[in-house]
Amino acid sequence: MPSASTPVPVPSERLRPAVVWWWWCTEGVVAMVMVGLAFWLLRPWLAEHWSAWSPGLDLALRAALGVWLLANLLAPPLQYVRWRFCYDGDLLVLRHGVLFVAERIVPVRRMQHVDLLRGPVERLFGLATLVVHTAGDDGATFRVPGLAVARAQELRDRILEARGDGRR
Amino acid sequence: MADVDDASRPAPADRVAADSGAPESGTAPAGAQEPRARQGAEPGAAPALAPEPAAAVAAAPVLARGQLHPAILLLQLFTVLRGLFLPVLLGVWVAPWFLAVAGLLLLVQMGAALLRFVTLEYALTADELRVRDGLLHRQERRIPLDRVQDLGFESSLLRRALGLVVVQVETASGKGVEVRLDALGTAAAEHLRAVLLAARDRGAAAPPAAAADARPTDAPAAPQVLQWLVHRTSATALWWRGVTDLRLSAFLVLGFSALELADRLGLRGSVRGVVRGASDWLGRLPPLVLATVLVLALVVVLGFGVVTSTCSSFVQFFGFELWLSGDVLQRRYGLLTTRQKVLPRVRIQRVALEQTWLRWLAGLAVVKADSAGGSRAEGEDQASGFDVVVPLAELQATMALLPALLPGFEREVLVYRSGSPRLVARTALQGVVLASVLAALLVPGLGPAGWFAFTLVPVSGLLGVLVYRKLGYALGDAHVALRQGVFGLFHTFVPTAKIQAVVVRQGPFEQCFGLASLAVHVAGGASTTLPHLLLADARALAAELAQRAAVAAAADW
Repeated sequence: MPSASTPVPVPSERLRPAVVWWWWCTEGVVAMVMVGLAFWLLRPWLAEHWSAWSPGLDLALRAALGVWLLANLLAPPLQYVRWRFCYDGDLLVLRHGVLFVAERIVPVRRMQHVDLLRGPVERLFGLATLVVHTAGDDGATFRVPGLAVARAQELRDRILEARGDGRR
Repeated sequence: MADVDDASRPAPADRVAADSGAPESGTAPAGAQEPRARQGAEPGAAPALAPEPAAAVAAAPVLARGQLHPAILLLQLFTVLRGLFLPVLLGVWVAPWFLAVAGLLLLVQMGAALLRFVTLEYALTADELRVRDGLLHRQERRIPLDRVQDLGFESSLLRRALGLVVVQVETASGKGVEVRLDALGTAAAEHLRAVLLAARDRGAAAPPAAAADARPTDAPAAPQVLQWLVHRTSATALWWRGVTDLRLSAFLVLGFSALELADRLGLRGSVRGVVRGASDWLGRLPPLVLATVLVLALVVVLGFGVVTSTCSSFVQFFGFELWLSGDVLQRRYGLLTTRQKVLPRVRIQRVALEQTWLRWLAGLAVVKADSAGGSRAEGEDQASGFDVVVPLAELQATMALLPALLPGFEREVLVYRSGSPRLVARTALQGVVLASVLAALLVPGLGPAGWFAFTLVPVSGLLGVLVYRKLGYALGDAHVALRQGVFGLFHTFVPTAKIQAVVVRQGPFEQCFGLASLAVHVAGGASTTLPHLLLADARALAAELAQRAAVAAAADW
């Protein structure tokens, strides 16, 4: 049983580097497709149908698309660099985010259930996502992406063990 | 957490056996008595441990069973006939085949009602409530008693005249009402509730794991049920509730729907004509008269608003009483439709004292309680007063009755700390960024007038000052408290033992100033956010709360 005086552990464990490729393959590709559609379809359409269309606006749109694409391509490595988590038997601590930083602390005995998710692209890279559900309504799920499958299973088992599910 | 998720209680059969071995005096099923009478009689009756009332029938597997009350058929006939008014009218005046449709509708709807009446039956055993209904599509729902969160009674005027009451069973699943029995006879409903609460309390007291929840572990098996009136809302308070309930938005909705209706009826052109005529007429008036007319119109609109909201306040909350019996809060209220709601105290996850700006000026507050699986998330609270615990009372009075809602609150010493003054700079910077974006969009189109966007900067700075003035948070022995508001004032109290998770967040602006917000998640309902803390403070507080939650969770398990 933990006592209130023990400090909250500082998260130090990192995700698998392959998670960067996974994020590129999902969010990155989506962003590229959207930018491509906007560049080759939306711009000509606007130029034809919108009377106020001007080269200045065209430049602004191109710049916005470029910035957006760059942000989406840069986000995965930056996210990877900032992601830290740890689990000490009582608390699951996650710290992540670049622009919007969040540090989440979940006492695992409070949670409702644990999921392991493995999408097709994740399987390609040998990754798994651990999802912890608590009983709250909004923001009540906590995700740890980019884990090696074995590590994810081990974490899940340790969490279930600490929760005492197998005890009675 | 024992009250949300525990699939692993000891077998209920053991409990039944143990309980029936206890000394018993009454043999009549005690639930048949009026619960108020039972609870009122007990404190006087018993220095000796009063035996659990329902223990007398605990040996039998079924404690109570029954069907819907036959009078419900009458009520449904009435409802169906009311619905047939239009088809019959059409049948008489327009085309006779509408009468055939009406007859068919009558047959089908009354058939369905009859079928439901014949097939529905409920049975209460020592550990679960079973409700069975349907003929072709038979279904049986079984609800473990320890999951029953709320047993509400509701009775409209017609139902009351027929001696009926709608029983609503709510569980902690978050879905709100799980089973709705429309309707039982009043006596049968009271019986059901008395037996159910007695059985559940015994269940909760028996396994040691659950005993850690709220009651001391050395409590006797048959707790002495004390009942007292915590709060009664006076008519004056209800009147104040109506007066301070300025819902201009309701008028906007009303106006829009009136316009919409006019549009549907093809009256739009004439409405426009009337409006144009009125504005022409107003334009010709001298300014003083115009001002008087406008002020009068405003007074009439506000007066109408006050009258309607006062009426609705009276209809909804007339005779509001909050009782505490043992660990269970009971609310009874309503003028036309009367409601009785039960809220076990251990389920309360958060208590809020809400003062909108008018009520803040008058020193009045509304008290609301969030419970696990409560319906605040479904937006029911305003509509039905679902989790309103006190409709309106003076702030001091609401503060004084907090210990009745949050056990242990009477021992709390809350020393409020204010948020960081940097938040003023933060909101001002937000204003600068917003104003720049707006100016960039407006100046090319509007010319120099677009620069007026920068008036947003002092406005948001002022807003920051207003926020800072009232913002405060405190950590007590077992509760975390938040006080905030811009024009009004809102207090929130969360028992630290109920915390599910804590999240420290920093947006881009907050990172600039080393600020952070702390969101405290509890079961059910939205999270409570403590905004504008220094990052170090937020982290320390989050760590402390997480540790306490972990300790409490370990104790629950």
